[in-house]
Amino acid sequence: MDFPARGIRAVDGVDLEVRAGEQVVLLGRSGAGKTTLLRALLGGVPAATGSVRIGGRNPWGSPAEVRALRRSTGVIRQGNDLVLGVSARLNALMGTASQWRLRDWVTALRGRVPAAYAERLAALADHHGIADALDARVHELSGGQRQRVALCRALLPGPTLLLADEPTSGLDPAAAQTVVAALRATEGVTLVVATHDLGVARAFPRTVALREGAVVYDGPDFDARIAERVYGVPA
Amino acid sequence: MTAPETVLPQGPPPPVPRRPPPPAGGRVARWGGASLVVLVVAWSVAGTDIGLGSLLEGRQAGLRMLRSFLTPDLSGEFLAVVASAAVETVQISVSALLLCVLLGLPLAALIAGNVRAPRPVAATARVVAAGLRGIPELLWALLFVATVGPGPAAGVYAIALHGAGLLAKLCSEQLEAVDPAPVEALRLTGASRSATALLATVPQARSGIASLVLYQWECNIRAATIVGLVSAGGIGQDLVISLKLFRYSEAGTLVLAIVAIILAVDFFSRLVRRRLGAAS
Repeated sequence: MDFPARGIRAVDGVDLEVRAGEQVVLLGRSGAGKTTLLRALLGGVPAATGSVRIGGRNPWGSPAEVRALRRSTGVIRQGNDLVLGVSARLNALMGTASQWRLRDWVTALRGRVPAAYAERLAALADHHGIADALDARVHELSGGQRQRVALCRALLPGPTLLLADEPTSGLDPAAAQTVVAALRATEGVTLVVATHDLGVARAFPRTVALREGAVVYDGPDFDARIAERVYGVPA
Repeated sequence: MTAPETVLPQGPPPPVPRRPPPPAGGRVARWGGASLVVLVVAWSVAGTDIGLGSLLEGRQAGLRMLRSFLTPDLSGEFLAVVASAAVETVQISVSALLLCVLLGLPLAALIAGNVRAPRPVAATARVVAAGLRGIPELLWALLFVATVGPGPAAGVYAIALHGAGLLAKLCSEQLEAVDPAPVEALRLTGASRSATALLATVPQARSGIASLVLYQWECNIRAATIVGLVSAGGIGQDLVISLKLFRYSEAGTLVLAIVAIILAVDFFSRLVRRRLGAAS
């Protein structure tokens, strides 16, 4: 695949296959093409040549195909993309809004969890350690808690694919560790994490390293020698 | 790869480029423009007959009115009339605010670019809002007095329509100013435009919109005191009657009441807006 972003060939000749349920890290410096590749998976960047298929679906296909793809894909983006001023619970529920009926809307806006999602949200919040934080407003949460709420929002609809773009960006090491652990614990979901952080990459079983839009490494056992190839400096 | 070393430039600093002299044609245009502005201002002043002469001419009537204003009519009977008019003024402002919100906020949502309403709908909403706020309250009041008849209802409709247009514009700007990241995040989940607007856009703009609604109430109370000048209810209607009958003591009482109502509403509104975290 080639993706010319704003006239620049941001991703060049990438040939990548991710198996269902696999956890993969896209590693590279800023501008290496990680975010472009993730955006391509959501149909956000059109390819100049080549193609993308997710479970056989085309992210640049018909509106119905794109909608179905988006509903089966969870996304966590770099920085904070939760809605401030409302509760963490409502934020966590928002990933399912496309499936809400009128009754669900009323329940959610009254600060409760619609029955269809109550059990799953409770299990997810418990699993990721934010059960006590659901009543809090987003601005009252720490960075790590916010990212885990974003993770619950992405996982609640039961996606088959989870895309995380720099999920530990701006977090202190301890908070970053909790977010990485939460991502590692997402079993049964295909996970693609884009990061520039070597520490994050080491926590996952497969690393795809990008440099200037091209894959320079794809495999397990990411070590300092390979890091030098990615960053141009010894890790 | 190592970071490249910073190389400092050697030798004397480069000469600062001199500002080129303005072209002769530009100077003529500037003087021509300034002369035109002076001419327009002078023509306007001459046409409106303002100046010390007209002020001196009306000084006797002005002093007589001022003296009466300083001795307001505080009789129980008239104070009851003032209280009733003041209550009606507040009622007009609140009822108009309700209609402003019911009409203005949906228009704001349709106008806001990040809500992504269908283009023809957004364009129509923009034209409607511009039309509503483009006509001043007094003109709306004249139209409604002619259609629904004199009284507070005409005042409510007049203030509501103008205010809805204003609120639509200001609230749409609030909606457009929200952080786009949560909006985009929700859109990526496949949520519809209306769901995205309701869950991600509106909550972020909520306190700003609440502040604008309160500010609109302040504007409404001011407007409610003047729509009475054209028989559209409120305290202004009593003020006109008193002035037409040369009862300046009564007018003084009414003016004092107007100032008191406006200050009270301003104070209350600012108090609430400050609690919402908005600049007063």
